Amino acid sequence: MLSVAGLEVAYGDAPALWDASLEIGEGELVSVVGPNGAGKTTLVNAIARLLPVRRGKLLLDGADAAPLTPREMCERGVAIIPEGRRLFVSMTVEENIDMGCYRSQARRFRAQGLERVYAMFPRLNQRRRQQAGTLSGGEQQMLAIARALMARPRLLLIDEPSLGLAPAIVQQVFETIRGIHAEGVSILLIEQNAAQALAIAERAYVLEGGRTIASGKPKELLAEPHIRDAYLGGNKEK
Amino acid sequence: MPSATLLGQSVLSGIFAGGLYALLGLGLSLSWRFLRVINLAHFGFIFLAAYMIYQLAGVWGLSPFAAMLLVVPCLFLLGVALQALFLRFSINEFGSLLVTFGILTITEAAIQWIWTADFRRLETPYGTASYRVGELFVPVAEALTFAVAVTLSISVWALLRFTYIGKAIRASADDPDMAAAFGVRGHGLALLLSGAVAATAGIAGTFIALIATLAPAQIFSWIGVIFAVVILGGLGNPFGILAAGLLIGVSEAVTMALTAPSWAPLVSFSLLILILVLRPGRI
Ligand SMILES: Nc1ncnc2c1ncn2[C@@H]1O[C@H](COP(=O)(O)OP(=O)(O)OP(=O)(O)O)[C@@H](O)[C@H]1O
Ligand SMILES: [Mg+2]
Repeated sequence: MLSVAGLEVAYGDAPALWDASLEIGEGELVSVVGPNGAGKTTLVNAIARLLPVRRGKLLLDGADAAPLTPREMCERGVAIIPEGRRLFVSMTVEENIDMGCYRSQARRFRAQGLERVYAMFPRLNQRRRQQAGTLSGGEQQMLAIARALMARPRLLLIDEPSLGLAPAIVQQVFETIRGIHAEGVSILLIEQNAAQALAIAERAYVLEGGRTIASGKPKELLAEPHIRDAYLGGNKEK
Repeated sequence: MPSATLLGQSVLSGIFAGGLYALLGLGLSLSWRFLRVINLAHFGFIFLAAYMIYQLAGVWGLSPFAAMLLVVPCLFLLGVALQALFLRFSINEFGSLLVTFGILTITEAAIQWIWTADFRRLETPYGTASYRVGELFVPVAEALTFAVAVTLSISVWALLRFTYIGKAIRASADDPDMAAAFGVRGHGLALLLSGAVAATAGIAGTFIALIATLAPAQIFSWIGVIFAVVILGGLGNPFGILAAGLLIGVSEAVTMALTAPSWAPLVSFSLLILILVLRPGRI
């Protein structure tokens, strides 16, 4: 479904990504792990077309996606749950959800979608008229997930969903991601928390210094001492 | 101490002035909040519209409202062109202040060149008519202006609150990238909004032409008080603008009645400073 090869992305003159490659098959849950500053967020934002691609291949369903706008990417069924959630903070919970189904193909299914996300996150239903910026961290993450689901994505880009959340909430978030995947949505999951990510991913990539350095089934990656020490060692504190 | 009637009449004229302030400030507030353009050219556009109304209605004999139907679309296009300029050159908020000041100066010069520096007055039956309600005189043009200001504020509020376009505008102001990632066409929306803002200048200009005697130099005399109203009202908040307009309008009028007219300009800025001190972070 998505294919990235030798991708290079820069902020001004400073390259943040210079040789990133990955494949996501139809309905697959693929994870990318890597240290701070490896370029994971850069990769996700480039796929969502929020950053210009300098070099390399970005294919969606076999077609070149590099020239697409974020809106066109959204129309082709790609939705993002960005790092730091990036909600529309001055708008209410329900307005944020509405923005998820902004494009007309998704808007037709608004009622259905609302029912689904409120069933998934009853807390959001209770707080539907509250300003998104005043929600707790966990609630904000739920809202970011709900917003993305309203777009009825085929491919969901999820960037560090556990960032800053209490362990109990983190469990709930990963359960939710598992559930979404079970419904057939392809998922690219970025995580600092490699143990969690590798536990639910079907395949994973390791990104370091802007470059994909390893890939494989989680079990295979965990078997490599270098990777196990770097990501699953004692000290993963941010 | 002035009589109750005189005070009542002052409050009424303050309310009408407040409505006019809101009408003039609405576009400025929207463009500042949602386009990040501090649009000084708005004042130029308002007077350009007023002079166009004067030309169409006062010189060429159209009815003022037919003239408005011609002028408002022209202003809309002007607003679209202005935003196209901003998008083309990616001008930031501070830059916008300088650029729009330049456009304001050019507009004023153009008005002076076309219509000279002489006073121009649009004579209409509305301009001088008034009704007597109890002890008070209610001037028709001012009352109409007030009604339009209220209607427009409510409409803008409802559009921003309830329509997808309105939500997209607000979402883009919060996080333009995320709005785009969910399908919002940011540039198209900005052009539309800038056009709508200039269209409100067209409406405001129509009522300025009905109420006031026009002279190019007056353009600058409005800037201070309207900025006070816009900041006091909270950016992008149509009801806030209305409330702030009324607060300043009535305070000015009552101050004038109780003291001397020369004190009035002090009112808006004292209120502004007071509120910025008591409630910082309004911009
Ligand atoms: N807006 C930006 N402007 C300039 N440089 C940036 C910007 N965003 C990121 N970078 C740089 O690009 C590199 C990759 O950053 P990125 O945010 O993609 O890393 P990451 O893997 O997501 O890290 P983290 O785990 O902390 O989220 C870093 O060196 C960072 O300093
Ligand atoms: Mg990141």
